[in-house]
Amino acid sequence: MAFQVSIPGGSVSRRGFLRGTAATAGALMLPGRLMAQDLGPLVEWLPGGSPLFCEIHTGLLAGFAERGGFSSSETVCGLGQNTEFNQSLIGAIASGNPPDISMLWDSPVSLGAQGAFMPLDEMMKGSTIPLETWPGGLLASCQFRGVTYGLPVTAGIYTMWFNQDMFEAKGIPTDRASFPKTWDEMRKLSKEFTVWDGDYLQVAGFVPPRAVEPMAVWSALNGGKLYDAANLKYMLDSEQNIEMFNYFLDWLNEEYKGDVNLIDRSGNFTDGYPNTTTGMGPAFRESRLAGMQSGSWLMGDFYSDPAPNFQRWDLAAHPVGPSGSATAAGIWPNWFVIPVGSKNPQAAFDYLAYLSVEGVVKWYEQIPDVPTNSQVKAKPPASLVERRGQEFADSASAFLQEQAAIVTPMWDSPVQGFATDQMTRAMEKIYTKAATPAEALAEAQSACQTELERVLAG
Amino acid sequence: MTAPPLAARRKPPRKTLARIVYHAVMLTVSAIFLLPFYWMVISAFKNNAEIFARPMLWFPDPIRWENVADLFTRPDFPFLQQFLNSCFYAGMVAVGTCLSCSLAAYSFGCLRWRGRNFVFGLTICALLIPPIVTFLPVFLGWSKLGLKDSYWPLIAPYFLGDAFYIFMLRQFFLGVPRELMDAARLDGASEFRIWWQIVLPQVKSALVIVGLFAFVYTWHEFFTPLIYLQNREDFPLSVGLFTFRSQRAAEWSMAMMGATFTALPLLVLFLFTQRFFRQGLATKGF
Amino acid sequence: MADRGETVAGATPPRRRRKAGRAEARAGVLFALPWIIALVVFTLVPLILTFVIAQTKFQIIGLPTWVGLANYEAMLKDPAVWTSARNSALYAVLSVPIKLVLALILALLLNRVTRLAGFYRTVFYLPFLMPAVSGAIVFMLLLSPTGGPVNLILGALGFDAPDWLRDPSVALWTLVLLSLWPLGVETLVFLGGLQNIPRDVQEAAELDSPKAWHRLVWITLPLITPMILFNLVIGIISSFQVFVQAIVIGGTTGTPAESTLMYMVVLYRAAFRYFNIGYAAAMATVLFVVVLLLTLLVFRTARSWVYYEGESR
Repeated sequence: MAFQVSIPGGSVSRRGFLRGTAATAGALMLPGRLMAQDLGPLVEWLPGGSPLFCEIHTGLLAGFAERGGFSSSETVCGLGQNTEFNQSLIGAIASGNPPDISMLWDSPVSLGAQGAFMPLDEMMKGSTIPLETWPGGLLASCQFRGVTYGLPVTAGIYTMWFNQDMFEAKGIPTDRASFPKTWDEMRKLSKEFTVWDGDYLQVAGFVPPRAVEPMAVWSALNGGKLYDAANLKYMLDSEQNIEMFNYFLDWLNEEYKGDVNLIDRSGNFTDGYPNTTTGMGPAFRESRLAGMQSGSWLMGDFYSDPAPNFQRWDLAAHPVGPSGSATAAGIWPNWFVIPVGSKNPQAAFDYLAYLSVEGVVKWYEQIPDVPTNSQVKAKPPASLVERRGQEFADSASAFLQEQAAIVTPMWDSPVQGFATDQMTRAMEKIYTKAATPAEALAEAQSACQTELERVLAG
Repeated sequence: MTAPPLAARRKPPRKTLARIVYHAVMLTVSAIFLLPFYWMVISAFKNNAEIFARPMLWFPDPIRWENVADLFTRPDFPFLQQFLNSCFYAGMVAVGTCLSCSLAAYSFGCLRWRGRNFVFGLTICALLIPPIVTFLPVFLGWSKLGLKDSYWPLIAPYFLGDAFYIFMLRQFFLGVPRELMDAARLDGASEFRIWWQIVLPQVKSALVIVGLFAFVYTWHEFFTPLIYLQNREDFPLSVGLFTFRSQRAAEWSMAMMGATFTALPLLVLFLFTQRFFRQGLATKGF
Repeated sequence: MADRGETVAGATPPRRRRKAGRAEARAGVLFALPWIIALVVFTLVPLILTFVIAQTKFQIIGLPTWVGLANYEAMLKDPAVWTSARNSALYAVLSVPIKLVLALILALLLNRVTRLAGFYRTVFYLPFLMPAVSGAIVFMLLLSPTGGPVNLILGALGFDAPDWLRDPSVALWTLVLLSLWPLGVETLVFLGGLQNIPRDVQEAAELDSPKAWHRLVWITLPLITPMILFNLVIGIISSFQVFVQAIVIGGTTGTPAESTLMYMVVLYRAAFRYFNIGYAAAMATVLFVVVLLLTLLVFRTARSWVYYEGESR
């Protein structure tokens, strides 16, 4: 287990050695490749998912492997929590024995920046999936210093969701276009719904956003940014961001008695899933929340346990903040990367190309992960058609594809995990009034920038 | 002066009151200790909504026996295979531990050699090091050997020894009379034969205890197998449950059912060998 | 007649000792060899490597680069390290003594001959059979403000049920309480010590000082000081290494408000979430040194208050 400790600027690096070996091995293998069609197994790792998800992917890979002359294919689906999956993947890469291709639920930028994944730009030129076929905001989540380290084959798209039944009951127009366009409008509308029973929140209209992952979207909606990839700088404590949080706090004070604990004790008003620590059902599914932000993955899980007590929900574009000018959407992609040390990088890329344009059709049909490549002609998920009819499914699907085009760059920092934790902490301080937005954000800003510089140095 | 046999003593009323108070206190404390277990088991037989129902259900109504079948037939949770893996894993570790630690403990406790106390001191130091500290270099080492995706890294070290059990066993070996060993030496027996045929039988109960402890602790071990193993079919039960809970965070009843079944074999094992446990811990001191 | 286990120097005739000496010494080393190999390979080498890595910047992928003491400097400035060190220390100071005292009381109570003794012992041993993760999850369910029985019972008894998992001033106590549940092991260690007290000593004590309280303090307690020492040392070591329960209850950010952020969690996070191995190694080194010093301190003071009966090694 001898790794070389090198002073910066030193001589033979292990990476260089590996590349040299790989090149030699590749050259030696070439005649062999031309002769025998017996390529080893094509190995893919997935961070997890439902049995259906695993099944679909195993099938897609197996079919592709057979056509490509591989002896077999192997799909490993799920290894503990996401952190453990990342660890296993990194461990495999570090020990020189990674899968040929892997899906990732964390940004490829952090690890790509350190040489864990192969750059794809060369392979993309002249392939069926060149850079132009991918929406800019989505590609940003895989690029570092202009190099592409992965591809966001499908994504969950963050948009607003609302309960059409509740809107109708209050005489509010329920079509997508009439949805509030600004934060002020949303706040005003929210008041129509919110009902308190003492300290118990019975019904709420809209609640100030508390989830950390889509915070970049809210920042963009207010004309700001959390992270500037081009200049490799964090901007957490910019004026727009401070204004944004002050706005949310003001809203919290006005409509929600200024106490997030009251909201949390009354139910799960943050997302559309049961709370994993308290088990409380999602307020949205219980018709106790008129609207919220959510990812498109909810389309698939919406009707599962606990079953919702209404049927007619719809999607809408995000409203814009006081300092913002245009709406934007957010994403949480399913990235695919080719680890450094992959034994079949070209085949892995070919599979990626196949998956991005054709494979996703089968994938999207059964699971609502929205394909992102512009060449895809996918049909909406069958389950959605079943529940809401073809017309609605088509309209929702088309809307999501539109939104994908206006995605704000997210997930593009080399210190994504660190920044997420810092933001979580800052938001907790802000919402529990332990610090002012300016203070909390300044602290997070300094920590993130320091960590960023540390990782980028050397 | 001998006291009359217990049964013949008439208990004064003060003593009966003391006994009642004693049992009342103990039963209350027992109830508190049993609560998490009880909660786990009844939750296993409810569905998600019932677990969080208000007012609380102290007994499942209805008792969802189908949860048991559900658990065994889930495609993403190969319970049976993982159960067998756990048996293999824990069993091998227990056997290896007994063998290796009794060898080392015999050396520390019954034989005299230069540097013995120093090495034993190092052994104590090894107890102070949290495994996470030594984890990464060891992991990279096994990866370089190509043995990462197997049970080798998990089992092989125990065939060399473990600080905790060596420490424990040494205490027992210290109690074996030296004359027995010296007599055998006079007869010309090799140290190995002395160890195997004379000394080990003397500490049989201690070995059973070490084996059982090692089995139970390994049964619970999940971090190491999680890092080294990749396929769900290879996982032991502990990792399977952890993975299941991570991927299906909201499926409480299934998670509780899994936890119940994980604890069940250990409970059976414990009840079966209860006498060894109590005895063993009785001599665990210095 | 030499007592069991006594190895009084000079008790064996010199000639026999010399002959036995060489063969014995050879066998001694041979028997301990597998363990010595393990010590070196799995403990010493990784430990030294950890010390070395602590002075590098290592992100797993790629090579480590030398940074000297930069990681330690960063640790000094890192608020998360200070917060978690304080939390861990607080946790240790709270849970170790409480656990010791409760376990002792429980052991004393269990030491009576009564029909239900077997049942009680089983009950107190049960938590040992449940893995840390499941235990933590069940605890969270129990303490749930909506469906959890604990708050219900407290409410029925007239107490104001705190918000266990969301109130920063209470959340650490949740962890402490969770640490008290598997009291069984410590209790049984004490119980073993109590049961080892020879009959004649017990009877003599009963004659000398009929008051139970007197007997407890002057006879029983001193005789089980070895067990107290053992539990104390193991308790300190394991309380600083608490990890699984902290992560299940507080996640990687120690919610709420970092009140449950433990040192090991910060270490783990640095290593496996931020891929900052050098930093994690530095944290591990500091932890090792601190716990080592504490343990040495305990052993040092132990000489004055621990009483070994008839043991000569």
